[in-house]
Amino acid sequence: MKLEAAETLRSFSAMWEDPYVAVAARAAERGERPIGYLCSYAPEEILHAAGFTPVRIIGAERTITRADSHLQTYCCSLARTTLDLALARELDFLEGAVFVQTCDTMQRLSDIWRLNTRFRFHGDVVLPARMGEPAAERYIVAELRAFRKRIEEYVGAEVPDSAIAGSIAVYNHNRDLCERLYSLSGIALTGTEVLSAVMAGMWMRKEEHSAMLERLLAGLSGETRPPSGSRVPLVVSGSLCGSPDFVRMVEELGAIVVDDDLCCGHRAIEGRAPETGDPVEGLARRLSERPACPAKHSAARSRPDDLAVRVKGSGARGVIFYLQHFCDPHAFDYPSLRQRLSEDGIPTLLVEWEHQAPCTGQMRTRVEAFLEMVRGT
Amino acid sequence: MSEEHGQRREIRSAVAYQKLMGRYYAGAKSAGKDGRKVAWITSGGPVELLHCFDVIPVYPENHGAMCGATRMSVPLCEVAEERGFSRDLCSYARGDIGSAITKGGPIGGLPRPDMLICCTNICGTVLKWYEELSRLFGCPLFILDTPFVRGTSSEHAIAYVEEQMREYVAFLETHTGKRFDEALFEEVAAKSIRSISLWREILACSEHRPAPMNCFDAFIHMAPVVTLRGTDEINVYYEQLLAEMRERVQAGISAVPEERHRLLWDNIPIWYEMSALSGLLASLGACLVADTYTSAWTFEQVDVADPMRTFALAYTEIFLNVNLERMVDKAVALAERYSAGGMIMHSNRSCKPYSLGQYDNAKAFTRRTGLPVLILEADHTDSRQYGRAQAEERIRAFVETLV
Ligand code: SF4
Ligand code: SF4
Repeated sequence: MKLEAAETLRSFSAMWEDPYVAVAARAAERGERPIGYLCSYAPEEILHAAGFTPVRIIGAERTITRADSHLQTYCCSLARTTLDLALARELDFLEGAVFVQTCDTMQRLSDIWRLNTRFRFHGDVVLPARMGEPAAERYIVAELRAFRKRIEEYVGAEVPDSAIAGSIAVYNHNRDLCERLYSLSGIALTGTEVLSAVMAGMWMRKEEHSAMLERLLAGLSGETRPPSGSRVPLVVSGSLCGSPDFVRMVEELGAIVVDDDLCCGHRAIEGRAPETGDPVEGLARRLSERPACPAKHSAARSRPDDLAVRVKGSGARGVIFYLQHFCDPHAFDYPSLRQRLSEDGIPTLLVEWEHQAPCTGQMRTRVEAFLEMVRGT
Repeated sequence: MSEEHGQRREIRSAVAYQKLMGRYYAGAKSAGKDGRKVAWITSGGPVELLHCFDVIPVYPENHGAMCGATRMSVPLCEVAEERGFSRDLCSYARGDIGSAITKGGPIGGLPRPDMLICCTNICGTVLKWYEELSRLFGCPLFILDTPFVRGTSSEHAIAYVEEQMREYVAFLETHTGKRFDEALFEEVAAKSIRSISLWREILACSEHRPAPMNCFDAFIHMAPVVTLRGTDEINVYYEQLLAEMRERVQAGISAVPEERHRLLWDNIPIWYEMSALSGLLASLGACLVADTYTSAWTFEQVDVADPMRTFALAYTEIFLNVNLERMVDKAVALAERYSAGGMIMHSNRSCKPYSLGQYDNAKAFTRRTGLPVLILEADHTDSRQYGRAQAEERIRAFVETLV
């Protein structure tokens, strides 16, 4: 691999290790205006069109000191550590945050956050639970229009259709580039590298991220690494990975993560908003029709089947479910996903984690044993 | 005083209650025989339309409460856990999935559903739970999606729910083969509103000092308003219960002998601990006079002239579907109306929409009323999550500090 490509990849994974410092630095040095969001359903394009840099908040590995007096310990660590960061004023570089109604936890976290922090902006977008249906889509359009109005009032200026359309094009292009990275997974890139590169985009202006991806892809063209040999091709499924540590560990132990089904990875870049017509309606269309996250319901799509297709398409021989403790939507989906995969003869492993203990020795042993088992099948 | 010290006074109407619920479950269990269809429905779901189509509503949550109260939940939860459902998920859902698979529980499981009705106004859990039920039973699922409300409902949210109410009607027409009868709906709606206001009046009797009934009674006697509102039987029964409570008020009969402390309860009961907690509080002279849970079935705004919209709005703005400030407003209002001297909050591991935010709500409640709050962590039906000795000690200490 060329030196430049290797360096770009290193900078991406460094960003994943510690995203907030980089965002804060750019806000201070270049006057970027970051607004945080916690869920991939956030209407980033509207924020981007209004001049903000939407950045994803994914919690942090830390000892919780302040959030425990607001959230019970049976709440997921994404919510707990994120709130802790905010209360410790470690997210003060943000102008505010946008909460999208996904799960029960997010719904309550939004209120707790609003009542206990002093960011200048607070946004709520209440999305429907039913997706992919006309009535729900009309509701999303109205909700996004109301959100756009909130933003306009906050910035004191109109956010014209043309600006939103421009942002849609920027985001779609970026998603296309991320898709190309995925196509190189296991060929020219490891899973850790692909995921780092995709995730880094959550903390940068998309234009800048796309430029870096274009250079990276050009540098990689034609490149293949030695065949993965005895490396076991896997898919990782779950909500998010707090750091590269887990995927890296899995790959160090002899696997190659050829695709993922993560809220912060492949699932976040699925769907394209149409680039013609009313841009807000276009955004609603994408949110409504993208493969539904576990907290949503779609009559038209089946998550078990979608995952089975993904696994087959990637050539994976096993799936690791990397699920956050106390995350209800994912925990509810797990048995039916596992069942569906077992019908295809795909073995699975469930690893539960939380930010306070992202990678333990016990996890390592279990992954090792799992890889051993898959090799034997 | 005929009751022993430390006992809750039994309500006479309890006999009628047993009969009413017994008939209801017997009817539901023999549904297939008389050709009537059965729907499983979430506790916050609009049941009125089912009555219009002569579909028997069955409530897994109410069944879950029964399993909890009879201490039969844990083995049922374990069945679901063996299937891969995490022990951290709502124990109503786990227990119900376990019971659906094994037919276990005090009444041998619920009758098999012909359809499933899931309203998201109480939580996201029901969405996932009912998806699983529809996989298990292979029967049609209708979802009434009620967007979360901060402040007041937006126009577009109400329009969305109203549109779904019409879809719901179409869904029932398809699956029962019957036509929707608007006049009948108005009649059922009026009865339902009557059930709800009777229930509200019953609860309001406890504004009186001493309170004629307490929350442990309400937890039991709420089952009809949850499952049968909109029918004649329930209204007859609630009229009887209301008369008995008014009689008690007249005669100065209290639920708890020597009522010295009046407290509020927040969250779902700890079903498997009902008698222990009720005995403990009674022995301390403490009466739970009102709670945020049983009063959830008392809609405030109802317009009989436009039942579709009324129900769309009422079902969207129920207690669990609103922001924290509105939840505190309600607790404060209860404290004032019922002259409470403090509140016990059950931090319920099973129920995130009810429990997350309680710490902030407790502080806000104390700030606004000056009243103390005790937070107890437990689970509504999974008794493995509960430490009795410690909880009882904390309750004792809390009551001692009350003036
Ligand atoms: S979806 Fe899961 S991880 Fe995300 S906020 Fe909700 S509970 Fe937490
Ligand atoms: S999570 Fe709460 S509201 Fe939902 S089913 Fe469980 S107890 Fe009921």
